[in-house]
Amino acid sequence: MNPADAPLIVLKNLHKRYGSLHVLRGVDLEVARGEAIAIIGPSGSGKSTLIRLINRLETISEGEIFIDGMPTASFTGRRLRELRTEIGFVFQQFNLYGHLNALDNVSLALRKVRGLPRAKAEARAHELLERVGLADKARQYPAQLSGGQQQRVAIARALATDPKTVLFDEPTSALDPEMIGEVLAVMQELPKNGITILVVTHEMSFAREVADRVAFIDGGKILELEPPAQFFGAPSHPRTRRFLKQVLSPLSAAEP
Amino acid sequence: MGGITLNFGDVLAGQPGQWLLSGFLMTLYVSIAGSLVATVLAVVLLALRIAPSRAINAIAIAIIEVFRNTPILVQFLFWYFAAFGLLPRAVRDYVTDNHPWAVLPFNNVVLAPEYLAAAWGLGVFIAAFLAEELRAGLNAVPKGQTEAAISQGFTYGETLRLILLPQALANCWQPLVTQYLNLMKLSSIASAIGLAEITYQVRQVESYNSHAFEAFAIGTAFYLLVGLALGQALGALGPHPPGGRPRRADLAAEKEARAAEVAEAASDA
Amino acid sequence: MPDFSVIWENLPYFLWGRAYEGQPGGLLLTIIMAVEAGVLALAVGVLLALAAWLFGGWMRRALFAAADFIRGIPLIFVIFWLYFLIPALFQAHLPDTLTVVLALAWFTSAAVMYSTLAGIEALPPGQTEAGLSSGLSRLGVLAYILLPQAVPNILPSLAGVFISLIKDTSLAFIVNVQELSTVAGQVNSRTQIYPTEIFLFTGAVYFVLCGALSLAVHVAQRPRARAV
Repeated sequence: MNPADAPLIVLKNLHKRYGSLHVLRGVDLEVARGEAIAIIGPSGSGKSTLIRLINRLETISEGEIFIDGMPTASFTGRRLRELRTEIGFVFQQFNLYGHLNALDNVSLALRKVRGLPRAKAEARAHELLERVGLADKARQYPAQLSGGQQQRVAIARALATDPKTVLFDEPTSALDPEMIGEVLAVMQELPKNGITILVVTHEMSFAREVADRVAFIDGGKILELEPPAQFFGAPSHPRTRRFLKQVLSPLSAAEP
Repeated sequence: MGGITLNFGDVLAGQPGQWLLSGFLMTLYVSIAGSLVATVLAVVLLALRIAPSRAINAIAIAIIEVFRNTPILVQFLFWYFAAFGLLPRAVRDYVTDNHPWAVLPFNNVVLAPEYLAAAWGLGVFIAAFLAEELRAGLNAVPKGQTEAAISQGFTYGETLRLILLPQALANCWQPLVTQYLNLMKLSSIASAIGLAEITYQVRQVESYNSHAFEAFAIGTAFYLLVGLALGQALGALGPHPPGGRPRRADLAAEKEARAAEVAEAASDA
Repeated sequence: MPDFSVIWENLPYFLWGRAYEGQPGGLLLTIIMAVEAGVLALAVGVLLALAAWLFGGWMRRALFAAADFIRGIPLIFVIFWLYFLIPALFQAHLPDTLTVVLALAWFTSAAVMYSTLAGIEALPPGQTEAGLSSGLSRLGVLAYILLPQAVPNILPSLAGVFISLIKDTSLAFIVNVQELSTVAGQVNSRTQIYPTEIFLFTGAVYFVLCGALSLAVHVAQRPRARAV
């Protein structure tokens, strides 16, 4: 039905309103399989809202989201939950289940949503924890792990159900600087293994080095969408230029 | 203490001793029965309270507020005098008859209006408090937990059962234990409707041989010791926040929660 | 069909007992006892909380143990104890109403202590540190920095304590003091056939009283939240 080179995710004329607040004003985006997209923008621009619409943590006001060729805006109940198992989500605040150890955090959805037997689920969970470098922390609880470790467990958890795409909502914003690297390193591996990633982030180095394309969103619309070399080297939209100046050299940007 | 001699022997032996023992056990029986009723009703009330329908929430809130804002004594009087009288004649006669099978050790009749009114009254009263404590425990679970679960494809029911409730219970276990201990202490008020629990029996002994101090001292010791023992036992049984010491901010919040829970709980009568 | 005429016929008795003979009763007595016990409990409880905070360590542990002891005994027992103990100790007989008020105050002061202490300790430790760094004594820090900020936090839980106190006055039933619940019981034993009307009415009166206080606290809380 869907040839291998067709885009995995297509956002078409996406709108989101909260009452009278029009947060997303017609977003269009096509993401290919295995692509890494970085989404940057000022606060209030709608960047978090954008990815939260994809796995329906927020409802869509208008527009359509095609995943693997299927229009998903009208999915409910069982189909929606199945869709969610195909999409991994990593939160800024990690949101690991506090009462479960790392192994159980990763295996829970496999056991309870996919119905795998415990032994199989735990084997898979061990595999994933190894992949993110935390095999020895399997029995530890979130409260015993550092922020960076918690976020890596969260990534392992998101990967448990073999999603085709993983969404990241500012994954390193809540981390101490020395832990950001270990998380970015894990994230970097995903597109190499064919997993599409959309990352809302402030980490410009990540956008520069890992992303295939960088999107700039402001005022509810994507104003710029280019490969990093062009995005950072010669941005076309004036607001992109202003934002980059503010982020990359804040003191000179603040001069009157 | 001018001119008072204490004579525990006259209180612990013979007829008075039997009465006191019977009273201890009756307190335990009615507290256990009341606790069972309270637990079941609390779950029902909680379900109503957090249901997606605002109308159903309102019903739960109304029930909870009614039971929390009236003294338990008045509730006992209502169940014993008013509600019992509204039951069908056949049921009332059955309850007030003598049934040898309905007598627990030491002469404690359980199929009697005062026992039923007390157990039910305690259950309903404490259920309202339990439901609110559970709700507070649920609210203290970070919202991100629900988002993480939903994003993994769990239904709301599964989220509640597997992720929210276990953490909620760990949050509010101590306040819940306080409520059950409170239930035991409030059983003393059922003596006003003629339930022969320890407080009633203490007064019996006092009017029998005027050994007020000894009898009251024993009763006091009972409540203190059983309360202490049960408190420790139930506390240890509960889920503990897993792994790691709580941070400073959590300790302060814990202290405030403890004070709030004590201020509200133990005096409610 | 419920017949509330028994309430109308006895309404003055329910509401103020024999106040015209100098013996307030019913709802009036309930409120009087609650206020008297409340004032006493407030004074004692706050003092104990301040002592616990100021002296810390052993004093605090002792006070907490004492408070746990006070709360560990059912209020009914405390009423009995005072009822029998005071005449035996002091060879004098206190009016029953006063005995109940003292029992209520004793029992409630522990709750006041917990609430006050929690409110003070919920403030960021940086406040105490800043105060001490500027040369204030611990008492000064309490008086000028902590208490003024703690009061808005403490008020709602103190209101809850007071609402419990109102309900606790019903236990005066046990020594036949003529507050609202005792009056209700008496009317019931006299008339025999109207328990539903009598106890529903009595419950409703407490509900309105406590509920109104609850609501008032709730409403008083809201503007504060918005101001932040």
